Formats: sequence, C-alpha cells, structure tokens
Amino acid sequence: MQYKATIFDKLALPLLLFGGVLIVFAFVFAFTITPPAQGDAMLAVPAPIGDFFLTNIVLLSQKIFYFHVPVAMVSFGALVFTAIYGILFLKTRNSKYDMRARLSTEISLVFVLMTMVSGLAWTRSDWGVWWSWEPRLTTYFILMLMVFSYFILRTAVSDPERRAVYSSVFGIIVFINAPLCFMITRLIPSSLHPVVFRADSGLPPLMLIPFLVAMLGFVCIAFALYRMRLRTSQSQENIEMLKTRLEELEG
Amino acid sequence: MSTKKRVSTFEHYKILLGKDLRREFRTREMLSTMGIYTLLVLVIFGIALMQTSAKIDIVQMSGGLFWALIVFTSLLGLNRSFAYEKEDGALEGVLLVPLDRSVIFLSKLTANFLLLIIVEAIAIPLFFLFFLSGVEMQPSLPLALAPLLVGTIGIAGVGTLLATITINTRGKDMLLALLFIPLVFPLLYACVSATTLAITGGDMLTGAYTAGLTLAIGYDVVMILVSWLLYDFVVSA
Repeated sequence: MQYKATIFDKLALPLLLFGGVLIVFAFVFAFTITPPAQGDAMLAVPAPIGDFFLTNIVLLSQKIFYFHVPVAMVSFGALVFTAIYGILFLKTRNSKYDMRARLSTEISLVFVLMTMVSGLAWTRSDWGVWWSWEPRLTTYFILMLMVFSYFILRTAVSDPERRAVYSSVFGIIVFINAPLCFMITRLIPSSLHPVVFRADSGLPPLMLIPFLVAMLGFVCIAFALYRMRLRTSQSQENIEMLKTRLEELEG
Repeated sequence: MSTKKRVSTFEHYKILLGKDLRREFRTREMLSTMGIYTLLVLVIFGIALMQTSAKIDIVQMSGGLFWALIVFTSLLGLNRSFAYEKEDGALEGVLLVPLDRSVIFLSKLTANFLLLIIVEAIAIPLFFLFFLSGVEMQPSLPLALAPLLVGTIGIAGVGTLLATITINTRGKDMLLALLFIPLVFPLLYACVSATTLAITGGDMLTGAYTAGLTLAIGYDVVMILVSWLLYDFVVSA
C-alpha cells in the first residue's frame, strides 16, 4: 500500500508556523492590551498603569492563564482522539487506527508535560509551594502517570495485534478515568485544602481574545505535529513492508 | 444422552467461580502469601511511624494507612489470580467453551473480591492491634465498613481487567502496579476520605462521608461497566 500525501500533510508545516504566529500574537496581546488582573489584596496607594488605576495588588502571574489553560485543554482533547481511535480499532481491527491512537497519545504526552511544567511554575509563584494536592494538579499528575503507563504497556507487549487491543482498551479507560478523577478530587472536601467553588463569571473581551487566539494556535500546533508524526510513522511502516518484500524476493 | 440441556450463563458463572475458589482453598497459595504480606506491610508501617512523637494523630492517619495496606496486598493477589491460568493453557481451555466471555470477568471479579475480603478480615484486627489499640473508638466506626466494601469491589473490578492485560506482557508484576495505581486513584481518594471520617467521627460526618461513599459507588459502577464491556476484547486477544 503506497502512502499518498494528502492535503493535510502539505498543510502541516504552514499550520505549525501559523500556530506559532498566533501564540506570539496572543502573548503580546495578553501582556500589552489586556489589563492586568487584580487580586483581592488592596494597595495602600492606587497606582496608575497606562490608562488604568489599580487599587488592588496586580496578579501578573495570571498571565499564565492564556497559555497554561489552552495547553491543558489540547492535551485532554488529544486523549479524546486516543479513545475514539481506540474504539474504532476495536470495531474494525484496522491497524491504522491503532497507529493514530498512539500518535494522539504522544501529542497528549507532550502537552501534558507542558501543562505540568507551566502549572508548577504558577503554583510556586502564586501559592508559594511547588506542589499541592489540589484537584486540578492531582488530576493532571494522575493523567500524566496514566499516559506514561500507556507507553510502557505498549513496549511490554511484543505481538502487534495484542498490543493494539490492549492499548486501545487502556486508552479508553484512561479517557474515562480522567474526568472521574477530577470530579472526585474536586467534590470531596479535604481537611487541608478546602475546595473553593467559583461561579464561572465569563471573561471580559480583552481577556477572551488572547485566550482564544492562543487556544487556536495550540490546536494548530498539535494538529500539525500529529500530521507530521503520522507521515513519519506511515513511511516507517512502508519501509518495513518493502524490507520484508525484498527479503522474500532474495530468499 | 439426548437430554442435553443448554447450560445457562449463571451456571457458567457458578462453575468458574467454584473452580477458582476450590483451587484457592486447596492450595491456599494466594491467601497465605497475602496474609503474610499484610503482616509485613504492617511491620513497615510500624517502622515508618516509630520515630514520630507520641502525640501524632494516628486516628487521622489510620484510614489512609489502611488503604495503602489494601492496595499493596491486592496488587499481590491480583497478579497471582491470573498467573496460574497461563500454566498448562488453562485459560485457553476456558476460552474454548462456548460461553459469554464477560462471565469470565464476573467470576474472576467475584473470586478476587472474596479473597480480598478474607484478607481484609485478617488485616483489620491486626491493624487495630498494632496501631489503634490505645485509642478510644468513635461510635461511627462501623460506618467504615461501607467504603471498605465499595472500595474492595472497585479494586477487584479494575484489577481483574488489568491483570488479564498484564499476564501477556513482559514484566507482568511491575506493569500491573503501573497500570493499576493511577486507575484506582479516584476510588482510593473517595474511600480514604469516607473511611477517615468514619474513624474520626465528628460533625463533618454526614455530608462529606456520604459524598465520599456516593462517589466511590459511582466510580465502581462506571469502571466495572466499562471493564465488563471491554473484557471480551482483552481476554480473546
């Protein structure tokens, strides 16, 4: 089966660059046009910053929101595809879905790691600790462990068909487990860290724009990376197939 | 012999469960290993807490410690529960029988659950003896049995599916722990919370305890349903 490059493969590189441009745009927008978020603590003297007069302490660390949250959302979005391709594989037994499930999980791994790193930086600067067993942190930590386990499971099974079935099943379970994990850690009050339920008050436009632009940028990057990995993997498979055929002809 | 009647699914279940239990009670392989392992984990807890001050709040810690004990012990048992199915192609024999494959899951789940309950029945008195003998007990203590039951069902359910996966992998014992612990994390979280509240008592009891227990039941229902649906793929792979 000869692999033919599709329109998506041609678009991968431009999309990657476009995503990068969007993120840079969001970065600049978030730090210049978007007003700084204000904390609860009051300043002694109101301080003018540009056109704004601040009466509260500025939360500069809030700027991470425009990057950390989209990255986290993309990482979970990639896991959705792992589960979908897992189900498709179990239904059709076509190994191309297994490859797609694996690649989606790879993309998810990259974004989960980025989420963890940016999240830890924020935790340190805002809460003064490197780690806290807070619902979102805990969920992502467990999610990261499960994604690691997914790849360890794959390397531990040598038969390709069996590996595909096992990793599809595990991918589906991981996808179901992650929301359960978040729900349970969030709903059960812990004696140390009381859960604060916040009413979702929509974002003002100046905060929403960089968030959405960054979100779109990261989606573009994730998709481009996925298509590039898919092409590499398919070429690898083709080479393996050609090698076997060559050996057959020689032998 | 023309009066052969079709064996019902429930009978398949009973036969498979009976086979597992009979095998266990004849060899006592898993029960003895898990029982002694429980003692060893208790010794390690003893060492871990030895240098702490006398004022340490053992009552608040005991729920978490006890669940740690259950997780480690169940890992040991779950590994064994499928290991002997690989010997002499026993599992292939079962798969050759024209039965609903998910019955294998349910029977294994029940066998693992019953074994864990037996081990827990040994572990609980020992745990009290070593760590809680000097502490006055709250009247709410029997409520700790509910999360214990729910948690054990969940551990047996998720563990049975994962143990079926890991018997066919390299480094099976290690891999089961890697897959199992993150997956049961939410269940543990809920159960530890409910158990601790039951042990400590107090006015926080009603709301938070029910929340923990309900969430643990929810986890059980979702995960066991999913494992049950996916089991056919796993066991025939």
